[in-house]
Amino acid sequence: MMTINIETDVLAGTLLEGPMQERRDRLAALPIKEPRDLSARNRAVALCDSGAFNEIMAMRNGYRSEARGATTPLPSDGVAIGWGLIHGRPTAIASHDFAVAGGSIGSVFADKVVRLQRFAIDNGMPIIYINDSGGARIHEGIEALDGCGRIFAQNVRAKKRVPQISVIMGPCAGAAAYSPALTDWTIMVSGQGRLFLTGPEVVKAATGEDVDPEDLGGAGLHTRDSGVAHLEVADEREALRSVIGLLSFLPQQRGGELPLQAPREPERSVQELADLIPAASHVAFDVRHVLSCIVDGGTTFELSAKFSPSVVTGFARLNGVPIGIVASQPRRRGGILDAKAAQKVARFVRFCGRFGVPITTWVDVPGFIPGAVEERRAVITHGADMLDAYADADAPRLTVIMRKAYGGAYIAMGSRSLGADFTWAWPQSEIAVMGPEGAVGILNRRELAAADDPRAVRTALAAQYRAEVTHPFRAVDAGIVDDVIQPEQTRAALTAALQGLGLGLH
Amino acid sequence: MSKQQEVRAELAGNVYKILVSVGDEVNKGDQLIVLESMKMEIPVIAPKAGTVTAVNTSADSVIAEGDVLVVMEVPTD
Repeated sequence: MMTINIETDVLAGTLLEGPMQERRDRLAALPIKEPRDLSARNRAVALCDSGAFNEIMAMRNGYRSEARGATTPLPSDGVAIGWGLIHGRPTAIASHDFAVAGGSIGSVFADKVVRLQRFAIDNGMPIIYINDSGGARIHEGIEALDGCGRIFAQNVRAKKRVPQISVIMGPCAGAAAYSPALTDWTIMVSGQGRLFLTGPEVVKAATGEDVDPEDLGGAGLHTRDSGVAHLEVADEREALRSVIGLLSFLPQQRGGELPLQAPREPERSVQELADLIPAASHVAFDVRHVLSCIVDGGTTFELSAKFSPSVVTGFARLNGVPIGIVASQPRRRGGILDAKAAQKVARFVRFCGRFGVPITTWVDVPGFIPGAVEERRAVITHGADMLDAYADADAPRLTVIMRKAYGGAYIAMGSRSLGADFTWAWPQSEIAVMGPEGAVGILNRRELAAADDPRAVRTALAAQYRAEVTHPFRAVDAGIVDDVIQPEQTRAALTAALQGLGLGLH
Repeated sequence: MSKQQEVRAELAGNVYKILVSVGDEVNKGDQLIVLESMKMEIPVIAPKAGTVTAVNTSADSVIAEGDVLVVMEVPTD
């Protein structure tokens, strides 16, 4: 295979002299527009092991028609496509070039991206999209729109076959904005990446709304409020490092082997676990600290950290094996589930299911938050979607009930009924249809109404309910929880379970 | 330079405990208030380090999601 490395071969002039010279000079002369740090090609180069980015169709230009039949060449038609090794594994990369017609998507641009997508799908490798584009190229009209549509169709085809990661390094507007949303994970550069269907000028013209670009489609908005993007990073280099980090957890393609690493001990000792979890089940704790006592190196690659933070989602390793994490976060909103949290979890679980990444679920959930606001947000639809994602996930599912697991939220958090391969509970767990105080309010309504001191009676009844109904051995006797284990035994139990499922036999 | 930072309730509930008063210096991640909701004690956390300039609620108050509970003065980035 003839490969051209733009940075080392083309720009250094090691290719044959001749008719290629003009095209080569044009590519070499492309400016980097502020506040950008790296050129489109150097972004791709920075992703690849030893900087070896093998560009495909570098010399295929597009053309812009000018007055009197003249045409202006658009170098590479504004996109660099190619592949390189990342951690020694082939990875496809498309990098938009804002220096050429604002990175706008024309028909040649689209042909090239589609070519890359087909190449990656056929050969089973992840696709990285570095987005920096004003959207469909306006003067090309329907051909530009058709090009965008063809890219989307391949995004959808790729979804079932290879991981896709989008990085937003500049504008990603109009039709271009749909492509990242069709991929698995979207990383945005703070203050630089902008993702919107309609830019501020058009919004102003259409509705009169005067809106700052950051408030319309900045990294903060999309990682905190809309959930459209999953990671906000400080600069381009951190974005690229994040791509490399994220890929380290993922197989090359659906059905591919998980990338193992040498096992590492957790950051904190498991003995610290007992102190991290308050005895009283109504007192919050930080689940990140718990995870840091259990996973390799104590590190979790968190995604959507600021969107619906009552649940933590991300990737980590256990005994060197990549795992997905879905964890209640009692420190934020008590670890409740709601419509947004359910969307976040469903998306994460579906991804793990498609690519066979074991899903570990860490439960301390008081329930789905009740009320009219949530019903109006279609919490039933989104909650059902979370059930659907778990029940349908084609990956090992391991669930640890840390403390509370009540009601529909218990079922939704990776329960045995939805197909968990292994389930454990820590000794102080409470598993029931609802919390003890609420339960006795219904079960003992008459008794409470007649009591002289209803508060004292309620407390006594709740304690009795807690002791008789919610304790985890009842779940063990029912065969719904496999075992009651101490927190410090959890890492060993999960490691053994993964080995039982054929993973991590180093 | 400094700016005002509003700290809002992440969900509806009752104010269980107020842990800070006006003039207190707090670090990022410190608990400012504890809410009671969903039978849980839920901390309201300082998003940044700064000085408390107002506490807009009192113990046992019923608050709604999004209510401003505390105002802080924080250094601008």
